[in-house]
Amino acid sequence: MSRKITFNIFRYDPQDSQDKPKMERYELTETDGMTVFIALNQLREQQDTSLQFDFVCRAGICGSCAMVINGFPTLACRTLTANYPDGEITLMPLPGFELIGDLSVNTGKFMRELAERLKLWLHPKPDDQDMHRLENPMAPEEAARIYELERCVECGVCVSACATKQMRDTFVGAVGMMKIARFEMDSRDNRSADDFYHVIGNQDGVFGCMTLLGCQDNCPKDLPHMQQIAYLRRKMASTIL
Amino acid sequence: MSEKTRVPTAINGGPFGQAWSARADCLQSLTGALLGAFLLVHMHFEASILLGKETFYRFVQVLEGGMFSATGHGWPLVTQIFSVFILVIVVVHAALALRRFPVQLGQWRALRGFMSNIKHKDTRAWYWQMITGFILFFLVSAHLATMILDPEIGPHLSADRVYNGHAWILYVVFLPVVLVHGLIGLYRVILKWGVSNNRSLIRTIAQVLMIYLLCLGSLSLITYISIGSELTLPVQPFIPK
Repeated sequence: MSRKITFNIFRYDPQDSQDKPKMERYELTETDGMTVFIALNQLREQQDTSLQFDFVCRAGICGSCAMVINGFPTLACRTLTANYPDGEITLMPLPGFELIGDLSVNTGKFMRELAERLKLWLHPKPDDQDMHRLENPMAPEEAARIYELERCVECGVCVSACATKQMRDTFVGAVGMMKIARFEMDSRDNRSADDFYHVIGNQDGVFGCMTLLGCQDNCPKDLPHMQQIAYLRRKMASTIL
Repeated sequence: MSEKTRVPTAINGGPFGQAWSARADCLQSLTGALLGAFLLVHMHFEASILLGKETFYRFVQVLEGGMFSATGHGWPLVTQIFSVFILVIVVVHAALALRRFPVQLGQWRALRGFMSNIKHKDTRAWYWQMITGFILFFLVSAHLATMILDPEIGPHLSADRVYNGHAWILYVVFLPVVLVHGLIGLYRVILKWGVSNNRSLIRTIAQVLMIYLLCLGSLSLITYISIGSELTLPVQPFIPK
């Protein structure tokens, strides 16, 4: 039998100077296989058209619908309402990002600034600049290793789940280190260990990370943040010892 | 985020300008691991009182270099020198760990806000490690000051200090605080450098050690109090049969 579930949703429009942050309650009838994302769409269609939240793919690929669900930052489209036996679900926007409104935050702006700051794109080798030339073949093992880290969808969960990042704004966070690790292991990239050291071998990078492991525990793509950051830390430390 | 102006100094210049970030992180982990390892050994040495006065006396005798001294008792100076050595490590560790404290009100608010919104066990564990670390600034200083100024150790002399000198008040607080700080620290330092990635196993070991050492330390303390309460004043050093 379908049950009633209650949503407590953070509401605030920073564009409206009269508005104040508040929590609002909504009720709806649960259906089979309902995700928080489906529920939010129903609420917006049937109860409150002003409710703001982001989504694109509905399948855990785009990373747009990340939010804090009952205290855990995760993707709404991959969270079943059936996971909450008491039927009470509290939704908050991801902390640490610019709030667009209600549950919608500007992760795109953050990711772009991070990419520009850490130069998160492939820096080809000098003899590999001709885009008309066929790329050198890559060993399947290397491609697989890069692909493992390339799975990051930039949802922002690791940033919100990291108390270090929340306390220190300049800290690059797991997403930045994951992407640096991705280029560091890419044989096509011209940057040396020293170049990467200059970017994340400091208090804002691997040596500022306190291993609180919020990134590891909440990443919806189960990326190996703990091992990856430990690897970078050892590698960066070995360059000065 | 714009680049900041950096004025080159002795610890912030040259091609590896921020090498001190790496050194500080390595040194903090190293001193922490040393102190954690010392804690485990120390707890067992002082618990030898549970096996009888004679056993404890023999342990002290060996550790204070009894086999090299004419009297066979060893020298309390060894305890003094070792205490100074530990104090130096503690000071280095504390100075480096201060970097991690949310020293500004904004950082403290961010941390408290984070903890009230996001449920994350390891962040909570670190929070308690930080709080206990702060308390230890004072408790370790008091403990080591006692050992440096009054280094006489023995079944009767230690028990006298604990019971008649009211040091038991210090140790009742010291024991749980140092165990929480040290064992969470050891768990985190292992994961931080990737010594092992088996997190659940390390967590279980830390939890078992916590209970075991708490029982061991409590029983030892009760034993010292019991011995101290039976001593007649002025206290005479224990003489082995």
